[in-house]
Amino acid sequence: MTDEKPRGDIREDFLHARHVKFFIRCLNVLPSSYSSLDTTRLTIAFFALSGLDVLNALDRIADDKANYIDWIYSLQVLSKEGRDVNNCGFKGSSTLHLKGYEDFESPFDSGHIAMTYVALASLVILGDDLSRVDKKSVIESLKHLQLDDGSFGATADGSENDMRFIFCASCISYMLNDWSGVNIENAVKYIKDSLAYEHGFAQGPFLEAVGGSTYCALASLVLMNRLESLTSDQLEKIKRWCIFRQKSGFHGRPNKPVDTCYSFWVGASLKLLDCYNFVNFESNREFLMSTQAQSVGGFSKWPDSHPDALHSYFGVCGLALMNEPGVLPVYAPLNISERAVKHLHQLHMTSLAS
Amino acid sequence: MASDSSEDELDNWVFYRDREEWRDVTPIEQDDGPFPVVAIAYTDKFKDVYDYFRAILKLEEKSERALELTGDAVHLNPANYTVWYYRRLLLQTLSKDLKEELDFISTVINQHPKNYQVWYHRKVVVGWLKDPSLELDFSASILDLDAKNYHTWQHRQWVIKEFKLFDDELEYVNKLLADDIRNNSAWNQRYFVITHTTGYTDEVLKREINYLIAVIRDVPNNESAWNYLTGILDKGKASSETELRETVLRWLEDGMDSPYLLSFIIDIYEEDLEKGTAPIGTLTKAQELCKTLATDIDCIRKEYWNYVSRRLGVEYGKKSE
Repeated sequence: MTDEKPRGDIREDFLHARHVKFFIRCLNVLPSSYSSLDTTRLTIAFFALSGLDVLNALDRIADDKANYIDWIYSLQVLSKEGRDVNNCGFKGSSTLHLKGYEDFESPFDSGHIAMTYVALASLVILGDDLSRVDKKSVIESLKHLQLDDGSFGATADGSENDMRFIFCASCISYMLNDWSGVNIENAVKYIKDSLAYEHGFAQGPFLEAVGGSTYCALASLVLMNRLESLTSDQLEKIKRWCIFRQKSGFHGRPNKPVDTCYSFWVGASLKLLDCYNFVNFESNREFLMSTQAQSVGGFSKWPDSHPDALHSYFGVCGLALMNEPGVLPVYAPLNISERAVKHLHQLHMTSLAS
Repeated sequence: MASDSSEDELDNWVFYRDREEWRDVTPIEQDDGPFPVVAIAYTDKFKDVYDYFRAILKLEEKSERALELTGDAVHLNPANYTVWYYRRLLLQTLSKDLKEELDFISTVINQHPKNYQVWYHRKVVVGWLKDPSLELDFSASILDLDAKNYHTWQHRQWVIKEFKLFDDELEYVNKLLADDIRNNSAWNQRYFVITHTTGYTDEVLKREINYLIAVIRDVPNNESAWNYLTGILDKGKASSETELRETVLRWLEDGMDSPYLLSFIIDIYEEDLEKGTAPIGTLTKAQELCKTLATDIDCIRKEYWNYVSRRLGVEYGKKSE
């Protein structure tokens, strides 16, 4: 966590300036075809803000920083009399904010664990001090969201439960510097039970191993400081499963096509296992370059497809793992820049001291 | 991802604001605040439906028309978990026929097969009904469209476990593998079924190994089959399955150049070294295979195979030679 400056001159085939523009466009207005993302607008904001940070271009939105921060806080479901504390946290959009009834807070308003994670991460990226976060309630709600099997659900009113939300709970606890909302033993047990026979991690026990849940599992263990719960034999096999995912770029499961986002999910998993040097940089980079949208910027899942915010962000992060010039280093366990993590650690020593 | 606006124009859509039976309700606009971030340019239809959804949510109206409205709202955004939650409250309050709800959610899943909320809703409804009779056929119909849909497999495993429907599942797995022997999800389901039924007894293990030998001989570069083979052999077991061992070594001699074959043999040699049963030269043979992989048949993983070679040297170099 030393190098905070982008390294060297930007290479010609990397469309850095266009990606910056792409992320700025995402922050402004999306066309109606994105309506199905209405409840998760905050995740798009996170991809764009963190994307700009990793591209070392946060200065492009410097004038509006306070506005972004206020917008994120406007999505916080605060504890108050009559509200179940389990519904606290952040929601993904203002869908339930009623014009003309500014003081009315819907009893159906509910935080979502993934939105709380991206809200906190975005605030840290923007340099906020998290002082307006209702920390006590957020931590309290985690207790309710964890199931007996150790996994987490997303909302108090019922949702699927899986590895993704263990990762979210881990990021939230790490960022708020308070693990009292998580039963770590149970979470570790769920993670270990989800190690598939192939030695990748699945979303849950007996499900299929996949790159995304492997990242979530390993990052959670690292954040909990429990990577040593895995035996050295298991770690060797996990390393092999991960590196076998490289074809040119990476895919998420055997016999599936390569896809931009796995250059991050699997790449970061290898980084967490301290063996990113296994990766063939040249092939991985060549694939990532081929999924850039030449005219509008951003990355798509596959070559010649439409770019989207998620694949654009993970494309950039995939390059960050390889020290691409023009890109800041990413802190793999939290999926944000090392620069942002440095700010977070400063908060941990002052206002968020445990 | 798309809720196609051009499609909206084509059907005979009547806006809620123009419906006689909704005249008593005042729609409520979304308040997106002074500085909307990631704003979405909603279609008129989307805005209209959600203006009325906000209104009934504020009124907490529990009615047939509210149920119908939630149906339109989830079609426009199946990821809105509040709409689904409110819909479930309505289903309970109005004591709706849950079989009809299963029809409804089937239609939505067919349109949005990779959405989390739709599968969760189905799971809740099936749980309420305590009737899984449609689930295996339904999930199979979605797997017909994409045999690797993770949500579908997750739902299928839940139903099978919850209602003990293991009986015909191995047959289904066999059918999928006959369609596509590289379908990793089907291999995973094979492991799931056998673990929960017979378990990997000596007899089952023998049957599986014989099956795998036939499958791999046909398609040596099928990682899914190799991973399954490695997965069902407990630690230390690969080296002591004599027939299997002879077969893979013969394949190597015959020039089969699958990286998975070489990596499997490296593991066998490592087991021998670990057990102390390795003849002199085993480490060298393993390291030679690493070199072949690194420089010839799996060059993309050159660094990895060099690492394995070094690791074996460090761990077994002094012990064995």
